[in-house]
Amino acid sequence: MRHHLSVFLSIGWLLLVFGMSIVVPMISDTNPRQPVSEPLLSPAQHPPLGTDALGRDVWTRIVHGGRISPGASLVATIITVLVGGIAGLIASSMGGWLDRVIVWLSNSFLAIPGLLLAMLLVAAMGPRLLTVILAVGFGAAPGFVRLSRTVFLQIREQNYVTASIALGANRSWIASHHILPNTKNQLLSLATTHYAWAFMGTTTLTFLGLAGDPSIPEWGVMLNAGRAHIIDAPWLALLPGCAISLTILAVHRLGAWLSEME
Amino acid sequence: MKLHQIPLLIILSVILVSIATACSIGDEKTSTVVYGLTLSPSGIDPHLNASSELGIPLASVYDTLVFRDPETGVFVPGLSENWSISPDGLKYTFYLRRDVTFHDGTPFNAHAVKANLDYVMNPDHHSQKALFMLGSLQEVEIIDDFTVALHLVEPFAPLLDSLSDVYLGMASPTALETWGPTEYQFHQVGTGPYRFDEYIPNDKITLSRNPDYAWAPSIYRNSTAKIETIVFHFYEDPSTRAIALESGEVDIVGEILPHDANRFAVSSDFNLYPIPIPGQPMQFFFNTHREPTDDVRVRLALMYAVNRPQAVKTIFDVYSPVAQSPFLASSFDLEPQESFPAYDPDTAAALLDESGWKITGHDNIRSLNGVPLELHIVAPSWGSNPEMAQLIQADWEAIGAHVTLEIAPGFGPLKEAQTNGEYHAIGINFFGTDPDLLRSFYTSTGLYNWSGFEDPELDQLLNRASQIPLDLESRLTLYEEFSSRVREEALVLPIRNYVNLVVVSNRIEGLHFSAQGWYPILIDLQMAP
Amino acid sequence: MVSNSDRPSNGALATVSRRVIEGVLTAWAAVSLTFFALRLIAGDPVASLLSQGLASPDQVENLRRSLGLDAPLLIQYLKFLSGLFRGDLGTSLYTSRPVGTVIAEQLPATAQLALTGLGFALLIGLTLGVISAWKEETSLGQFAASTAGLATALPVAFTGILGLILYRQILGVMPILGHDVVRRLILPASLLGFASAGAIARVVQASLKETMKGPYILAARARGIGHGFRLLWHALRPALPPVVSLTALEAAFLFAGTVVTETVFSRPGLGRLLVTSILQGDYPIAQGLVALAAMFYTTSHMLADILAFTIDPRLRRVT
Repeated sequence: MRHHLSVFLSIGWLLLVFGMSIVVPMISDTNPRQPVSEPLLSPAQHPPLGTDALGRDVWTRIVHGGRISPGASLVATIITVLVGGIAGLIASSMGGWLDRVIVWLSNSFLAIPGLLLAMLLVAAMGPRLLTVILAVGFGAAPGFVRLSRTVFLQIREQNYVTASIALGANRSWIASHHILPNTKNQLLSLATTHYAWAFMGTTTLTFLGLAGDPSIPEWGVMLNAGRAHIIDAPWLALLPGCAISLTILAVHRLGAWLSEME
Repeated sequence: MKLHQIPLLIILSVILVSIATACSIGDEKTSTVVYGLTLSPSGIDPHLNASSELGIPLASVYDTLVFRDPETGVFVPGLSENWSISPDGLKYTFYLRRDVTFHDGTPFNAHAVKANLDYVMNPDHHSQKALFMLGSLQEVEIIDDFTVALHLVEPFAPLLDSLSDVYLGMASPTALETWGPTEYQFHQVGTGPYRFDEYIPNDKITLSRNPDYAWAPSIYRNSTAKIETIVFHFYEDPSTRAIALESGEVDIVGEILPHDANRFAVSSDFNLYPIPIPGQPMQFFFNTHREPTDDVRVRLALMYAVNRPQAVKTIFDVYSPVAQSPFLASSFDLEPQESFPAYDPDTAAALLDESGWKITGHDNIRSLNGVPLELHIVAPSWGSNPEMAQLIQADWEAIGAHVTLEIAPGFGPLKEAQTNGEYHAIGINFFGTDPDLLRSFYTSTGLYNWSGFEDPELDQLLNRASQIPLDLESRLTLYEEFSSRVREEALVLPIRNYVNLVVVSNRIEGLHFSAQGWYPILIDLQMAP
Repeated sequence: MVSNSDRPSNGALATVSRRVIEGVLTAWAAVSLTFFALRLIAGDPVASLLSQGLASPDQVENLRRSLGLDAPLLIQYLKFLSGLFRGDLGTSLYTSRPVGTVIAEQLPATAQLALTGLGFALLIGLTLGVISAWKEETSLGQFAASTAGLATALPVAFTGILGLILYRQILGVMPILGHDVVRRLILPASLLGFASAGAIARVVQASLKETMKGPYILAARARGIGHGFRLLWHALRPALPPVVSLTALEAAFLFAGTVVTETVFSRPGLGRLLVTSILQGDYPIAQGLVALAAMFYTTSHMLADILAFTIDPRLRRVT
């Protein structure tokens, strides 16, 4: 029961974040960049979550951030899954030298720690939120190539695939009719875990200032801004930090649950 | 030893090594002061680099030909005992002290002066500040071993002021020769009360007392330094400065955040010194070459839209006055006749309507001929500029613009963003005691004319104001006219006059600052009894 | 435990040499990818000097020629490689100092942080892993397991700030001896170690559970060694080899972790150097750092595999 409780909580949190980020901007039109009151008011003085150093409402910013941070990581994960998954599918389906090249390429990329690889890509493209998303997305792709390839290969080994080949089916037919449908669950589980990594990676890079614009209510940016005030206004750092951590934990739990389901 | 014990051994040795290295960070408590710097400049050679931060340690490594009294602004003898200026203002003759030696034993004389000025003026060295402070200097003539004459092409009033600043401090010609422009910054040799021991970028600068120092100018209270060693560490991150002070890791640090300063002001363990810094205020230039800020009404509107007093109060609390002029120093308050626009969003809206930028759709963004009002701000990353830029962004969004913000993490990237030309407002300012530095910013050919405004009349005003030798009244009149012009054309949005909040541990006393504001006079530091 | 001779057999030597060759090839590939990625995506590194007024057009041309940037990309690549062998990583765009010197200056601080962090990772990871395996059924064991899971999920940025806040609260209540060492090294290193401890704890837990089921543990029990620490000791030793190889891998991740930790705690080091060089567009430094990181990572990967072979004879059969 406790096992399932954590899954419920995880899904609940994610729905809350996602839901709020859609609903709240529709009912209130406070611009998260506009100051609303005195700076550095505590949650007691300015409910519900106080104000930041520039007098902006923290609650509004966290809610709006709930759209930016998870959304950015989602885009990055989609890039990873598409690029990595397609490369893995090609590698496992085609075999031969193409497979070896793809594997060798992804191993070489993997020799660079993921975060550094992402930073390198940001270095090349210039610091902006968009480049952070692209960097995290492409930076995780090599790892996903390997993982997805393993999953695809496992299916290939199955008897029904061998039977199809014997019956004369070509590779793309096999891919679409046998491999993809049977790996959906595993890929989903992998993608979810990757989403957690992408989320941590995006918020870390924005935390380091690589998003360029400090006014966006992105959680990593807010975490960084809160550092100047950990003595007099610790909630400014703690709130986005908790939001980030809870989201990562929730996604992890979800991913673990999904992989248990097989 | 069995193989399976290897893992344990590895683990134990790693832990031991780390503890041992950790313990090797010692604090030398004997007469050492730790001073916190706030940004790590890309270069710390005062002859070549422009950061004011480098002056904090280096103003005590070098002496200058003349010094400026921090209270009266009067010039007093330094390395030069005496000087004379020709009536036409084209020849400055300096009569040097004979008893001065550099830290490396090289004697100080007229040859050293020439070597220094040549080093600054060498075009291959790309001096970013010192060169411009020399103005129209053309030739340095050695008359005899201890007499040197500077020949100018045109009169240049700020020359004495420049020669009192660390950027024209006298370095050992031997060291300059030996190390060259790239490496010299790591091996600096001057004549000052402190010797330059080492510089490890991003880590520290170490100075040690010069026991042979015997030529202190009258503005120094002590004739020789009392503190043996001064170590400078870097605290680029404002949030870490207060913590470092409280933990005793650092004794003195400037640019404390205002809300932290409030705590230190009431603490019995620390003293707070708010030091006004002369020069340009925190400001943002408008790009007059780009739509829509090429329209002066739009620029004015954008100025009316910003609630400067509130923004300054939010970020700087009570510690900083709102700037009302493009330049402020003792004896130079360049406030224009008509004040810079006060906060008036209605007038701002009216001006924008008048210039054709109207609110059409539901989204509150103004547009003209279908083009939405989009503005781009570039702000440097230091001195709370990013925070101020965010407030300006919010104010401009409130009157119907869509505003994007870019932070430049260093002077290089700032200049690069400016060269791209894609900004509508860009933040930059220089500090200094003479308004001559305004020429770089406001003349048509000025290196820092980032508003792009070209007006021959303005050029003439500024050039003339630099040429009149020492006639303060006439200079002031010219600068007043200049200010009014800047105000009319809404070239710049002045924000706040710099006040450096310096906090000192009460175990140290005697801290005071030079005329330029930023540089502490380290020779006068001593331990409290 | 059956003791084999300490000399690796011939089969092991062949495996080791193959691993080394693989490692070298991978490192070369990673470094090359770094070079091409930066050059192709970022474009001309010298152009920014011109736009910053740090050089005149003539000087930019001269600089371009002296850096060999007018040669075809392939030639530049070969020069870059040969430079790497000689230890020449190019020169910083801003300060014109050799990249190698700049990196060497910042290396000791990062090495100190990373090594201490590794020490903490092992300490915390071993503790959590042992507790979660040894006391699996109890709530203490569950707590240890959850903490390990938490450790991997929490971003270092957050734990770092949490740590700072907590530390400051404690500092306000009671002064800590040598507190500047604590704040500057112990605190960041322990938080850095904590982030890696989760993975180590999990491996320790899994590995220990395996060995505890083993026949020699039953034999030890039969000999009368109780369910206490001595039994634990017997079970722990053979469980360690996979931990060692994971630690070697984590060493590389720690390096990446120093980037955030150095920022949060304002320590000097390679992490901060990387962030600043990226923000300022100083490509030679960013390139040199990532190339070094890639080589370091491949080396530690190699070492991890080799260590695994030498410590656990069973793995030698897998060629």
